[in-house]
Amino acid sequence: MANGIKHNDCRNFAPVDVAKGICRVKNELIFIDGEPCEKFEMLPKCKNCSNFINVDKDDIGTCKGFKDDYWSFGENIAVTCEAYQIKCQN
Amino acid sequence: MAANRKVKLEEILAEKGMPISFQYGGKAPEEMVDREVKKEPCERVKKLKELYFQTLSSATVEFPYWYTRKYDELEGEIPVVRRAAALKHAFSHLTPTIFPGELLVMGKAHYYRGSFPMPWLSEGYFMAKEDELYQSALSAGRTSADEVSKFGTGGGNVTQSFGNVVSIAGKFGIRKEEVPALVKLAKAWVGRSVDDLGQKYEKMVPEYQLKENIMKSVICMFDSGYTLPQGREVINYYYPLQYGFDKLIEMCEEGKKRVAGKADGDGIIGMDRLYFYEAAKLVLEGIQAWILNYAAEARRLASITEEAKQKKEYEEIAECLEWIAHNQPRTFREALQLAYTIHIAVLNEDAISGMSPGRLGQVLYPWFEQDMEAGRITEEEVIELLECHRMKMTLIDCFASMGVVGGVLSGNTFNNLSLGGLTRDGKPATNRLEMLILEAAMRNQTPQPTLSVLYDEKLPEEFLLKAIECNKTGTGYPAWMNFQGGLQFILDQYQAEGMTVEEARAWAIGGCLETSPCAWMPLTLNGKKYEIPGGAGQPTSVGVHFIANPKVLECVLFNGYDHRTGIQVYPPHNRKLETYEELWETFKEYYEMTVDCLAKCNNIQHDIWRKNNMAIFNSLLKPDCLTKGHHIGNMGYRYNATFNVESCGTINQINSLAAIKKLVYDEKKYTLDELRDALLNNFGFKTAAEVGSFSLAEQEKRPDGDKYDRIYSDCLLAPKYGNDDPYVDSILKEYEDWFCAMCRRYESLYGKPLYACQISVSTHAPQGAATLASADGRLAGTTYADGSMSAYPGTDRSGPYALFNSATVWDHSKSQNSQMNLKIHPSAIKGEEGARKLLDLTRAYMRKGGFHIQYNIVDSKILKDAQKNPQNYRDLMVRVAGFTQYWVEIGKPIQDEVIARTEYEGV
Repeated sequence: MANGIKHNDCRNFAPVDVAKGICRVKNELIFIDGEPCEKFEMLPKCKNCSNFINVDKDDIGTCKGFKDDYWSFGENIAVTCEAYQIKCQN
Repeated sequence: MAANRKVKLEEILAEKGMPISFQYGGKAPEEMVDREVKKEPCERVKKLKELYFQTLSSATVEFPYWYTRKYDELEGEIPVVRRAAALKHAFSHLTPTIFPGELLVMGKAHYYRGSFPMPWLSEGYFMAKEDELYQSALSAGRTSADEVSKFGTGGGNVTQSFGNVVSIAGKFGIRKEEVPALVKLAKAWVGRSVDDLGQKYEKMVPEYQLKENIMKSVICMFDSGYTLPQGREVINYYYPLQYGFDKLIEMCEEGKKRVAGKADGDGIIGMDRLYFYEAAKLVLEGIQAWILNYAAEARRLASITEEAKQKKEYEEIAECLEWIAHNQPRTFREALQLAYTIHIAVLNEDAISGMSPGRLGQVLYPWFEQDMEAGRITEEEVIELLECHRMKMTLIDCFASMGVVGGVLSGNTFNNLSLGGLTRDGKPATNRLEMLILEAAMRNQTPQPTLSVLYDEKLPEEFLLKAIECNKTGTGYPAWMNFQGGLQFILDQYQAEGMTVEEARAWAIGGCLETSPCAWMPLTLNGKKYEIPGGAGQPTSVGVHFIANPKVLECVLFNGYDHRTGIQVYPPHNRKLETYEELWETFKEYYEMTVDCLAKCNNIQHDIWRKNNMAIFNSLLKPDCLTKGHHIGNMGYRYNATFNVESCGTINQINSLAAIKKLVYDEKKYTLDELRDALLNNFGFKTAAEVGSFSLAEQEKRPDGDKYDRIYSDCLLAPKYGNDDPYVDSILKEYEDWFCAMCRRYESLYGKPLYACQISVSTHAPQGAATLASADGRLAGTTYADGSMSAYPGTDRSGPYALFNSATVWDHSKSQNSQMNLKIHPSAIKGEEGARKLLDLTRAYMRKGGFHIQYNIVDSKILKDAQKNPQNYRDLMVRVAGFTQYWVEIGKPIQDEVIARTEYEGV
């Protein structure tokens, strides 16, 4: 799996449950733990946000996107987060 | 051991002419007989259902994360406003997912069958077993029921961790990556959850140690205050359906202006109204944002979808959501979507089981009628939407501890939809839409919403026969409730709060079979006036839940001592129990001690809940919170006397009392010590733990067990309930008269009398698992009889009418309910003549004053085959005790109990 990216990191993935989901591109059930295809489109998550910093080994870090800093976790989906700012990709 | 010596209980009982799986009224055909009525869902729903069958119960921490974040930010804020702001934050940050083919959308979480923990209620039970929080909860007796509860290992239950999925609370899967956040959230609520705060103050109750003993010995199944603080009630969709969310927000703003700074004669809570209106406005805004996030997702999906039909459907979904986020719905589809959205919003606000839609067909009738008249929709389109509604309701999971979700609920959520009943002025309340609801329930057979017919003599034959046809599909629904019996209970219980006969006629079932107070609400649609029913009372899932009656009797026999745990549960009575009367009096004393201490502790839990975790959205939905400016905790609801005492194992207790009375006191065939010895030694059988199963059929005799053969045989042959035998039925009557009156002597935190509630849900398995052998011949650890009026499996040997006579020796209207299950072979009610027989049977029970009856129309051979080959029966459903559940998702002890029930081959 490249860079630990999984199917549930993709915007085209509809999560059915904790193991699998529907790929909206291929219209089929696929497992979360699989390598995304070339149609991958990044899903906003805290781990992709520039406001998410100081991440520890458990993927817990600090969110600086709101008035008060607070902890967050990398896998937190940020589709509805008003403070989400995509991290610059190196 | 002799070669032909019988070892298995099943063989021993068969030899005595008392087989498990007794057949009455004939013999079932040799071959497996399928259910007579079989229908299929529409193509769309077939696909959605197939997806459901492949879906695991999945938990996420998204909602609790955003909730906790805002809650922490607002430290020092007024509690109701702080909670409302946290709810708003959580709702507005939920990730919207819309699945291809859905017409009705939205869900509890972003998974298809998603849910989430609420650590603000209780944080300990979903931790890893090694965690100190879990260990601490265990030592406090609060998770004792977890240890004797079993989940079905099939279907969507995640009972084992695998790959990157971790099993929590025995049923739900969570992604491994989310576990550190889950632990962090749980720890954030240590010391301030309802559970923790409740325990702190419960310890100030002088009888607290007794309560701990009772919980550890599983005499009581669970605390409601921090597990499922709401539920088994009827929701009220009226306000959003009548006004729309924009207008409701406006009403809150007006309310704030009206009451700000004014007590209006109420020096205690008059000022609280301002905070409630502010809180209600915040939650409404959060739900609006949540709906609009889904609308935006629908727009996004429409923009990236090329297939024309699906693209159009996404656009229609967006239009629907964009409208109902602000306004009164215009069409049947919008009204159904809004009703479902409201339902899910209430379930996301709190941990709830048994939030019933009530008389949904009567609530939505105005939109159905106007759409049909205008030609905007066809009946087939309505049925398709109703099938989709069934699918969405079945996706609901309730996240709670294993003891609660497995041991009490069997994973079910009890969204019970009521049909029939009467109108305010006493006319039949059925309508065409209710016929379509039945049709959709036959085509798309799912556990949710289960259906209940509020039976009244005035209901039209066509409707009743349609309901019987639905029964013949074998789904277990609809259940049949006695409308007039329920009406009497409602009037009796709520007259002190102003209940009238006219209003009482609005009642419906909340949860499995909890008679719940409702109200008539005036609705206007396009200038036409209607009156629709909706819930107007507090939850009935609250109070003292569930007391294991046979276990209390066991403690009487053993001087208050529980041999399973080695705990002296009750103070020793030190009586010789020389007469039956002394035994009975001691039983009542222990029972009353139990209710007394549990009621006090429960009141504290719910008091903490109402102060810190009160319902805000559910409150504003129910009359008269918006008018009064008070939430549930300040008694804004019209009816507040809803707390109750629930019992379990009534029939095993009654049969045991009959056996003791006959064998020890009347005939003096055995001494009480001889009986005690036999019970302690499980009548010569191995313990359930030794056998490795708590199921009836699998119990085995010890090689040296013959010593107890005579007493065991006599106990089995002692009079049994369900055979119209006055010897045992008079014991039942004496018990019921005492129990129903006794409950009313205790008071809820709202200063209202408790009442009797007599259902077992699934607790007859774990509570049976915690009970020694009983004098009726039931072996240690095995499941009790279900419900309260069902006979113990195989002991009702005189036919259904004898069973009905036994069941109705007491006045059912003195209790919130009673529960009767019958298992009937499909061939017994075949064809039109069979349908009429089943209706006659139902009528006969209702006319005798029985409150509730429900049917498993199934060949027991199918159930046995399903146990051996579960992979072939993913869609098989059975009626357990007030609810229908997928066979593969219920635990084996309950499966065995359903198989063992008497099968009626003729009615």
